Amino acid sequence: MSEPAAPPGPDTATGTDPANVDGQAIAITVFSTVKPLGRLWLPLVFWFATTFPRASGTLGRLSFIHFARWSLVTRIPFNGPPQREEKLNYPHLFFESNFNGGWEEYIDAFSHILTRGMKFFWGTSYGFPQPLPTGPFKTYIKRNEIVASHFYGAYPQATTTMILSSLELAPKLGAFKARAKGMSPDAFAAAWSEFLADVQECL
Amino acid sequence: MSNTSGQATAFMALTPIQPGEEAALRSFLEAPPQDGSPLARLAGTHFARWVILRDWVNDPSQPREERLESPYLIFTSNFDGPLDPYLDELCVKLTPEAREIWGRCVGCPPDATGPQLKAYLLHNKIDTGFFVAAYPNSTVAQVKAALAAREQLIAFAMRAQDMGPDELFRAFAEEF
Repeated sequence: MSEPAAPPGPDTATGTDPANVDGQAIAITVFSTVKPLGRLWLPLVFWFATTFPRASGTLGRLSFIHFARWSLVTRIPFNGPPQREEKLNYPHLFFESNFNGGWEEYIDAFSHILTRGMKFFWGTSYGFPQPLPTGPFKTYIKRNEIVASHFYGAYPQATTTMILSSLELAPKLGAFKARAKGMSPDAFAAAWSEFLADVQECL
Repeated sequence: MSNTSGQATAFMALTPIQPGEEAALRSFLEAPPQDGSPLARLAGTHFARWVILRDWVNDPSQPREERLESPYLIFTSNFDGPLDPYLDELCVKLTPEAREIWGRCVGCPPDATGPQLKAYLLHNKIDTGFFVAAYPNSTVAQVKAALAAREQLIAFAMRAQDMGPDELFRAFAEEF
């Protein structure tokens, strides 16, 4: 096999293959080959990012990510013949993200907001061109990206912002409903106006 | 290793595709689902995907090239709760598709269902190093309910703009 992936289909308005899209949700799947040093370095990065989530809090500023993950593949499980045992010379870094918006905007935001974090995660990958400027980095990601054969999202029309707003709103609405019982219509009308002002950022 | 974030779990399985089966597997996975994605039957699944890895991407700066011996199927899922019950459910509810999917992979049990399929997926599990979730403590059901409530409230607020106190009070009680 000389080519790593099937030829991608034409990109959608989101900047990615239609197979990577489900409603507003977009899948990105990337593999990169890691230098030997990464075998030691990346577990430390993962440990640090997991143990001190506030230090990696810039990820939270990427408000369009639903779920993302990094894995270091150092061995491939063997299932017996006809599988041939894989002897890896290098570790391989797997990255996937489930996000909303556009592919270009996603990579731009990653590069500009998570500049240092990107170096931590991909700095030991062969060919990593640095997050900025974004042009070479986008080329790198495109080259290393694999198009999904099947992508599913449970709430495809919802953006991360909509979900976070809804989850913030839900208990406030519940409390308001409970409070509204027993109010007079005039008192309720006043409370309703206050409630709407209070939750307007969630709507 | 961090396969969890809040109540959410990340799972990944990397299974070798049987010789000569890649095209058929790709065709099955890429065909538009007639009744929606089979993954919708797993109510706790937030996002999931199947991806075919044909080979490693080699960079010219590598001292030597690395090639896979065969193509591999990657399955990843981001779901609610622990792995065990999720895989139990998957290995029952996805049985018809599992035969077409993992049934084309080396080492998959012949009937591709139940505990044997679960053991196969666990054998081929790849641990997650770092897993992040925007709403790690919310289940799919909670997310869907919250989205629906927000939509309902927005629609009601639009309708209620010109209502007087009595009508507003009555309409709210009926709606909520």
